[in-house]
Amino acid sequence: MHALVQGIILGILTAGVYALMASGQTLIFGIMKVVNLAQGAMVILAAYLSYQLFASFGIDPFLAIPITTAALFVVGVLVELLFLRPLRKEDRSELSLLVTFAVALLLEGIMSVVWSTNVRSINTTYADASWTVFGYQITLVRLWAFLLSLAALGGLYLLLNRTRFGRAVRASVQNPESARLLGVQASRISAIGFGIGAATAAAAGSVFGLLYPFNSGSHYDLISKLLSIVLLGGLGSIGGAVVGAGIISVSSAVVASTVSPIWSDMTFFIVLLLVLLVRPRGLFGASARGAI
Amino acid sequence: MLHHNRLRRGLPVACATAVALVLAAGCASRASTAPAGGNKNASTSKTLVIGASVSLTGDFSDSGKAVQRGYQLWADTVNAKGGILGRKVKMDIVNDASSPNQVVTNYQNLINKDHVDLTFGPFSTLLTIPAAQVAKRYGYAFLAPAGGGPKVFEQNLNNFFFVQPAPTTQAGDVFAAYILSLPAAQRPKTAAYAELDDPFSAPIAENIRQKFEAAGIKTVYKQVYPSETADLSPVMGAIAAKHPDVIVGGTQNQDAYAQVKSLVQLKYNPKFMFLSNGANSPLEFPDKVGAANTAGIFSASDWFPGSTAAGSAAFTTAYINKYGGTAQKVDDSSAEAFAAGQLVEAVASQTHKVDNATIISTLHSGSWPTLLGNLSWSANGAPNGEFNLVQWESGKLVPVFPTKIAQAAPVAPKPNWGG
Amino acid sequence: MNRLKRMGPTRAVVFFAVLAALPSMNLAHWVLNMLVFTLMYAVMSSAWNLVGGMAGYPSLGHAAFFGIGAYTVGIWFQHHGIHSGYEPFLILPFVGLAAALVGIPVAAISMRTRSDVFAIVTITLLFVVQTLAFNLRSLTGGAQGLSIPAAPFSTATYERPFYDVLLVLLAVAMGLTWGAMRSKIGLSLAAVRADEDKAVGIGVRVQGVKLLAFAVSVGLTAMVGGLWAYYEGFVYPQFAVDPLITIAIVLMTFLGGRGTVWGPVLGAFILELAQQYFAYSLGGSQFYLIAYALVFLVVMLLMPRGIVPSIQERLRMRRRRRAAAAPPAEDSAPPGLPSPHPVTAAAGLGAASGQGGH
Repeated sequence: MHALVQGIILGILTAGVYALMASGQTLIFGIMKVVNLAQGAMVILAAYLSYQLFASFGIDPFLAIPITTAALFVVGVLVELLFLRPLRKEDRSELSLLVTFAVALLLEGIMSVVWSTNVRSINTTYADASWTVFGYQITLVRLWAFLLSLAALGGLYLLLNRTRFGRAVRASVQNPESARLLGVQASRISAIGFGIGAATAAAAGSVFGLLYPFNSGSHYDLISKLLSIVLLGGLGSIGGAVVGAGIISVSSAVVASTVSPIWSDMTFFIVLLLVLLVRPRGLFGASARGAI
Repeated sequence: MLHHNRLRRGLPVACATAVALVLAAGCASRASTAPAGGNKNASTSKTLVIGASVSLTGDFSDSGKAVQRGYQLWADTVNAKGGILGRKVKMDIVNDASSPNQVVTNYQNLINKDHVDLTFGPFSTLLTIPAAQVAKRYGYAFLAPAGGGPKVFEQNLNNFFFVQPAPTTQAGDVFAAYILSLPAAQRPKTAAYAELDDPFSAPIAENIRQKFEAAGIKTVYKQVYPSETADLSPVMGAIAAKHPDVIVGGTQNQDAYAQVKSLVQLKYNPKFMFLSNGANSPLEFPDKVGAANTAGIFSASDWFPGSTAAGSAAFTTAYINKYGGTAQKVDDSSAEAFAAGQLVEAVASQTHKVDNATIISTLHSGSWPTLLGNLSWSANGAPNGEFNLVQWESGKLVPVFPTKIAQAAPVAPKPNWGG
Repeated sequence: MNRLKRMGPTRAVVFFAVLAALPSMNLAHWVLNMLVFTLMYAVMSSAWNLVGGMAGYPSLGHAAFFGIGAYTVGIWFQHHGIHSGYEPFLILPFVGLAAALVGIPVAAISMRTRSDVFAIVTITLLFVVQTLAFNLRSLTGGAQGLSIPAAPFSTATYERPFYDVLLVLLAVAMGLTWGAMRSKIGLSLAAVRADEDKAVGIGVRVQGVKLLAFAVSVGLTAMVGGLWAYYEGFVYPQFAVDPLITIAIVLMTFLGGRGTVWGPVLGAFILELAQQYFAYSLGGSQFYLIAYALVFLVVMLLMPRGIVPSIQERLRMRRRRRAAAAPPAEDSAPPGLPSPHPVTAAAGLGAASGQGGH
């Protein structure tokens, strides 16, 4: 029983960070119909940036987030302009998988050159601090990471619902044709949308670097998890990504602490396959048009 | 019409060109290099080329680079003394990117394209088996400073020599021996095991568990976790809830750091803690878990700073001169790689030959002094010695057991985290 | 179309005659070794093309079946000794058949989804199989892996049996592709690829051909996996069920040209030879991964349809320009509908106009 509750607490705290990473990915899909396999690599890139800012200038990873998001926004826009825009529309959905995978390899290669493949971790003074609440351990860093992810998700929600840009994005997700007629520039929305997707990876990356040791190859493990999350929630649905992250993190933490860690990844893959059997578009995918 | 004709020619031409290129490359290399047999009997002034494939990129690259440093350092050291039997030594080191296909290609190319004189091994068991099979096919001795999992020895390759004191899976036996040497009152009563699912780590912990259970130490928790597990809090949380006296981690590196960090966060301090790998890295471990949290943690090691084994002092000095740092910062993978070279030197000075057949038959008899201690092998390449128990004391990794190599007494029970 | 049909066999005979003659030309072992790996990828790309190229279902899970084949051979060795050394080759057809049978229900479930989602579902499947390979210890040896004794072939001709069997598999894979393209099956697959809903609407029996294509494709892939296990001597979950294998065969097919007979094979010969050779000679450089990714990106951006179709298209354009005044040739693709292969275009049109039956 104790292990079960501890597993649920841990799962929920972890879910926040994954929800943030996945929301960027699902946003990119919603706008461009592109499955971004480089999302994991972007998260790791952001983790390296915060590592470097912390190691060289002593900037706290949480405070470094504005810097890393700005940097990754630029990276995201560049990737869209250089590698995705030139693709022909009819090839885009197939080729974008390969192109974004190549971008992931490129980022991995650059990171291996700059930071080598040694495992890094960001050791702040508060990295090991924790509270005991009713006999359950709550790690300070995890709690902050969770709160920060909620804040970032809230910001994303406001951006999409309360700004002109957000309205243009939602219009082009719901109905690209009429959005174009209404004067929304799809190409500009794509570039900025990809940038924002990358920027959420940045916020999540700073936190990821605090929670786990990482190296340039860590993005492979991340991307398989992120794909499962966005698919479970339904491609293109941010709400779905949050729910998907919750289900996957909680189920794997619970299985890891009560059954065995070797079956925890398997659990969410099975959950995913079952959901897709019943609903091939994922939990919230059927209503993806307009759900963002 | 026209485009059909063109196209018909186009593809075969392209294929033929590719084939021709491959052929040309093949012929060229054959023409330019003498056959392997000729090489072996060549005049003593010829360079002795030793080929090895290590992982400079990919999963095993950290340790791969340490192995590379060890090989290169030995070559430099021996060349400074005038080489082996008057021949300069040259290391031909290529990268397998941690890929099993590439490691086969690399040893094929080293042996049949570059006609190296000898081969040394790659880093992981996973790559050692395919590589050793290729070496065996062409009669090459295969000195492997890493990658001694059980499946390697099951191959029964007589050209294979694992250059460490004992098969990797027995690395923890010395910890079991130490615990069982304690008076009954001081011995732990309960034990928890957290094991990484890979060819070496989990078996090390399993070997300890068998010995502990036979001695009546009760197992309160045992769990295997997959290698990509970034988050060990669920496992360590479950362990802390059982309050075991001793925690045995069958670990590699990242997971060793994660186990310690989780326990610090959980504020659970066992009386004894053993981590099979990761904790024996003098550089990385304090950096990743914080120097204050290392106190009292046990690990296994073959080489340690200040070892008095053959050539150890010279190795340490040469290492610091070439790569900087201090003796405390030398990775034992480099020492193991260096030992492979020492063996070649020893065979050459005893037999005045350095061909593969001589090396294989000579190493199979007798015991050979290296900086890892005296090494000898069974017919399948499994070494017959044992590892040393090391412990973190006042921020340093010191050998504590068996008594004949100990530089300090073991500290028990383990000091609290952070102190 | 008739000329097109005639030239295929000629080209194929030359190609296979050259490949079959290579080992007897006293090639060095290291060259043959690289050719063995190249042929493995050529067979798998060709097989992947049946599903990914012709039917337009980009499976990322083929490595799961490669692993199933590898483990079948590995497990077989745990229970049988090795005598002549040829036994593993004899059981290969059964390995292929078994994998194909496993593939049918997998396809029936996963092919309910399309394109991107199908790609992700299949890669999920790959991770499930990899986890099973780790966790079903009594069967697979788990993280210890399965080791296989070295084949008792003479050193001088060690690679020959592997090479010859792979050549046969390549002939089968290319022959099937070629045959499918010229039959009702190929037309149905092309109709699925062009617009599945429309194809269903006009009465093309899509389910049967989809399942058949998938089963044949994964069966061939599993046979290569079995042979790989024997050649490598060691089966390990992360190596036998490796996402990078899938990525490599997809990339090779895209590079050469998906939906064509020669494209995947050409892609495999270029990429695998280049990769094996360059990783050996320049692998120490840290810039290896960056260079690989950049080549990958440049190919995708400059030749999004692959080498073979790009050349075809360019030649077609040139001819059209040259014959601007003359009446167009009978089998050129209509403008605005650039096609990976003339047959696909024809099939797309045929299906749309209700002639799925050819």
